[in-house]
Amino acid sequence: MPYVVRWDDDRCTRCGRCTSVCPVGAIEPGVFEKRLVESTGPVPMPTTVRRVVAGVKQVTDIRHRCVGCATCRLVCPNDAIRPEYNPHNKFRWHANQGGDPYKRGGRRNDPGVSTLDLLKFTRISMLTDPALDAGRHEFRVRTYLGRNLPPEELPLKIEGDSLVADGTPFIPPVREIFPIRIGGMSVGALSPHMWEGLCMGVAYLNEVEKLPVVMCTGEGGMPPRLLKSPFLKYFILQIASGYFGWDEIIHAVPEMQCDPAAIEIKYGQGAKPGDGGLLMAAKVLKHIARIRGVPEYVDLASPPTHQTKYSIEEAVAKMITSMSMLFDFRVPVYPKISGTKTALAVLNNLARNPFAAALTIDGEDGGTGAAYNVSLDKMGHPIASNLRECYLNLVKIGKQNELPLFAAGGVGKSGNLAANAAALIMLGASGADCGKYIMQAAAGCLGDENNRCNICNTGKCPRGITTQDPKLYRRLDPDKVAERVVDVFLAADKELKKLFAPMGRSTELPIGMSDGLSVSDRAVADRLQISYAC
Amino acid sequence: MIEIKGRVRGQRVPSKTLEEKIQTAVAAGKRSIRVVADGQHGIGGRVWPRGETVRFKVTGAPGQRLGAMGMLGTEIVVHGSCSDDVGWINCGAKITVLGDVANGAHNAGAQGVLYVQGSGGARCDTLTKYNPRFDPIQSWYFRDVGDSFAEFKAGGIAVVCGVNPRNPENILGYRPCVGMVGGTIYFRGPCRGVSEEDARITELTDADWAWLKKHMKPFLKAVDRKSFYDSLTRSRDEWRKIVALTPDERAERAASRRGSLSEFRTRVWYPGTGEGGIFADYIQDDQTIIPFVTHGDLRRQRPVWDNNQFAPPCAGYCPTGIPTHERTRLLREGYESDALDLVLRYSPFPGTVCGYVCPNLCMESCSRQFYLGDPVDITYLGRLSLDRPAPAVDKDRPERIAVIGGGPAGMSAAYQLRLRGYRVSLYEREEKLGGKIYYCIPEDRLPADILAKEIERFASLGIEIHTGAEIDRKKYEEIHAGHDVVLLATGCHSPRVIPFPGYEHVVPGIVFLKEIAAGNSRDLEGQDVVVIGAGNVGMDICVEAFNCGAATVTAVDIQAPASFGKEQQMAAARGAQILYPKFTERYDPDEKRIYFKDGSSLPADTVFISIGETPELEYLPEAIDLERGFVRVDPVGRTTDPKVFAVGDVTRPGLITNAIGSGLKAARYVHAMISKTEYEDDERRIIPYEKVKFQWYDRARADDLSQSCDTESSKCMSCGTCRDCHLCEHNCYWGAISRRETPGGGYEYVVDGEKCIGCGFCAGICPCGIWTMYDA
Repeated sequence: MPYVVRWDDDRCTRCGRCTSVCPVGAIEPGVFEKRLVESTGPVPMPTTVRRVVAGVKQVTDIRHRCVGCATCRLVCPNDAIRPEYNPHNKFRWHANQGGDPYKRGGRRNDPGVSTLDLLKFTRISMLTDPALDAGRHEFRVRTYLGRNLPPEELPLKIEGDSLVADGTPFIPPVREIFPIRIGGMSVGALSPHMWEGLCMGVAYLNEVEKLPVVMCTGEGGMPPRLLKSPFLKYFILQIASGYFGWDEIIHAVPEMQCDPAAIEIKYGQGAKPGDGGLLMAAKVLKHIARIRGVPEYVDLASPPTHQTKYSIEEAVAKMITSMSMLFDFRVPVYPKISGTKTALAVLNNLARNPFAAALTIDGEDGGTGAAYNVSLDKMGHPIASNLRECYLNLVKIGKQNELPLFAAGGVGKSGNLAANAAALIMLGASGADCGKYIMQAAAGCLGDENNRCNICNTGKCPRGITTQDPKLYRRLDPDKVAERVVDVFLAADKELKKLFAPMGRSTELPIGMSDGLSVSDRAVADRLQISYAC
Repeated sequence: MIEIKGRVRGQRVPSKTLEEKIQTAVAAGKRSIRVVADGQHGIGGRVWPRGETVRFKVTGAPGQRLGAMGMLGTEIVVHGSCSDDVGWINCGAKITVLGDVANGAHNAGAQGVLYVQGSGGARCDTLTKYNPRFDPIQSWYFRDVGDSFAEFKAGGIAVVCGVNPRNPENILGYRPCVGMVGGTIYFRGPCRGVSEEDARITELTDADWAWLKKHMKPFLKAVDRKSFYDSLTRSRDEWRKIVALTPDERAERAASRRGSLSEFRTRVWYPGTGEGGIFADYIQDDQTIIPFVTHGDLRRQRPVWDNNQFAPPCAGYCPTGIPTHERTRLLREGYESDALDLVLRYSPFPGTVCGYVCPNLCMESCSRQFYLGDPVDITYLGRLSLDRPAPAVDKDRPERIAVIGGGPAGMSAAYQLRLRGYRVSLYEREEKLGGKIYYCIPEDRLPADILAKEIERFASLGIEIHTGAEIDRKKYEEIHAGHDVVLLATGCHSPRVIPFPGYEHVVPGIVFLKEIAAGNSRDLEGQDVVVIGAGNVGMDICVEAFNCGAATVTAVDIQAPASFGKEQQMAAARGAQILYPKFTERYDPDEKRIYFKDGSSLPADTVFISIGETPELEYLPEAIDLERGFVRVDPVGRTTDPKVFAVGDVTRPGLITNAIGSGLKAARYVHAMISKTEYEDDERRIIPYEKVKFQWYDRARADDLSQSCDTESSKCMSCGTCRDCHLCEHNCYWGAISRRETPGGGYEYVVDGEKCIGCGFCAGICPCGIWTMYDA
């Protein structure tokens, strides 16, 4: 058993709250027989006392193993029950019951320190650069999503005293956004309360706080009400290999009040590269089915690759052109790929495509609602070196200010959202995506890298985040989710300023300013071409 | 008045030298010093005459930090404008600047006064301090101040008069008061961008106004602007005041600055997405938030009192379905005779079969056997019913039913049908009823009077019994024609043999047993006997062979013996050997020896063979389908002739209890068919053992549980049937379970869904496994 349930007989009132909430049936009421044989006299004079009591016991069937979510502890008024991680457990040896490999949600089960967390910001303005005060000085932390043409390539000419367009040229659409985005998590993977909470938080940040945070829909379509709302501009529509929900999106185009922030073409997901999307039937309820355009209660697998595309040239050009056309080339369109040794090939291809707006690379520490454990744990490329390699390549071809790179996968893995994002920016990213972090910060996701909880795929999320069961998702208050999203981004904005101010950067992000980074691991320093400090 | 020059003979005097000259002069008692400055740093600061006043008149161009660290008693008048940081960390000096001050005036000042005739630069009055030992520091600006005014201000009073400002729209510069935590600013004129996180703008109180008017006079006099007094003090309304937020106000403002998200939802989100939000088209459920622990319809599971939904193992595994749990319930409730009579509704042979010859699958499967190893003694209960009379027969019915075969299956069927009121004729080939019970069970296992008693009870029902009735095709047709329904129960009586050389000298076991039952047993005195076939009948033959005087008895089989239980134990106790695997090759009657294919042999004066029997079905017409020599039937005994049923060994060999059960089932079906009522099939799923909570029961101990109706009935765990113990009611923390009487004297336990949380305690602890949790 990966988690052992510790139950305290003396504290328990047998109220049953714990057994009523356990999402996996890992505990159940049971009967315990206690028997005491004692002799109090000077010679053996035995008396036997037998007491039979009801209590709570752990179920030992592996299908009902305790997953450690601790919902029992959450509801126990007497602190009488809690799960305890069993580091000696042999669960992985037995998880393949019935010949089916272990599937789960969550993240790569590696509690180790990520490379991003090893990086330190070592260039601090000490009387050298103009030091800025993050708290006092006003400065903007913004980045560009879209292709930035170099001045000489801008199709402009001077006429008299003014700059005018030269003919009817294509000027790539560019969005000015906050450099941390919410990565793609689909309607379907997430509960309606969670998804709407995230959306509201994003809208609030834009509308009230004027912080242009954008969120990607993930592959699951978008409710038409949001498509037709004035908030669409804060959302990146994702199209992936299952093409779920796209007919509704296309139908809604004439009724849209504004353009979406961008379109992301998902070719791969960092958490499970090479594995397609997976939404288990238990989660495909009516609202999900309608939005995605599928029957109810069926397993929804997206193929690992886009069908009808047979080469990198074709895949990229075809998809980018199609999606650009949908909005008359007014919306940035970019692909997202899993972190991979072949990322450079994709990048070089994009560099040659004038309609490619950016590239997002999703590293191995990303999260997912459902995947095979083997894909989660053993496949993928860490984001740091993959991103760095791509950025340095852009530098080599002189396009580092032109084609923005976005990095994802494990940003905020240990809770350091802004620092991880800043490190990626200084390694060359124009921005970073977070998903798992926001689940934990905004909704209190219980999962961790010791395989705690991680039952997102089953639709039994005890928090109400990744479930379509109203009895579960109604536990989650969308207003509170939204509020936490706002907290997260306001705080991240301040933290980014705290990191960038001492480097004297107040207007443009220090993209690729790798001389500000150091690491105390020689090999990492060499690989990332940053300095070694100890 | 002495004059200290900042430029001597065309040479600028260093700051250090000028400072030394000033300090020397003060030390020498000079109290009035004129400084002609030329960019020197820090003029007029750090002068400590202790109680006396030292006056400086500064002309020329003073450098930065004039009056820095100035002390109480120092008075500096600057004729002209000043560079940065005038009065830096002022500790009491009174500084008058008849011109403008550049950036950072009174930066970190703590005490003293600064009068400025003109404007202040950027970051004036920043970081000013609060020290209750002294009067607060004052900074007066006649015109206006520059950007970032009063950042991190912690104490003191700043006054900005706003006369002829450089920027008429904003006299306090860009973003004043960031980080301000204390002090007061009085200002007159428009201002913008005061840091709302730190400070608030308010009206002057009477005390403020009085203070301002009182201190305005000396300021205006010092900066030579007395004529402005009236216009500056003509109206309190022209002035406003800035104070730092208190920590509470600060927290409150931070909280309220963030509009509530629920307000955002109704004010912004719904107008954009439509009422109800983005999923409202798809989701109709109430969007309110629910707690983890829920009641009523919001429960994830709900308990149901599933009384009698499961069969207990005793009844479920009993081929006759005898409900021992009902017997024990009646016993517990004090209805002893009802309890003992109940079994007679299921079997005519509770004493014979349950009590003696049955392997008692009921006890094998008893939950107590499973958990504690001490099953309810059902043989005991069966024997107690031996002396009970037959149940009352229902009202006579006209339909005639024939049962061919008076063994356990036929008798069971005849008994059941007669109890239901039918006219039943029973045809038996032998002279005695009982079939194999009578003919094949050794007296050791079944005392003769037991069976006799039960046959007597059977006979008392009014069944037309024809013994010695040989049935051939013709007789069969006659019976078939004369009855509404015919049940075939002729059993298996044709011994199976193996045609090895010498097989004709081998005696079928059944023949041997029937001889004994008929009272003419053969003499085996001193013989070596071999029994081919080590099943239970083989074991009975072994016992009987010893009874007939055999010296040795050896049972052989081609596989591990199928015998078990009492039969095998009794044979072993008498000294029977079992050998296997042994494939017989031949029997030599002259040598009196049996040879096996493995080359071994045994002495054998007599060889019995007991490898089963097959039915004798020559009397049946072709209309009745057979299957491998047996009559083909469905689970209720129907043959391919709709009028004909078959029960017992004639359909497939089995235990006596199987035969009784098949008779019961067929009788029930026949009754349903004839009376056009519903077939009463009491087959239910057998309760899984884990539903029964054995822990509530102690193991039987010699001193507290002796064999009696009381002990056996209290031992019974009442699997699947409520024993009305109230445990569920007591255990339910939420008080959701209650017991109520039902019309007709029964009871039930019911759940109040509004109190129940679906925790499953009732199901988890119910000793009988009644409560079941269903997904709600």
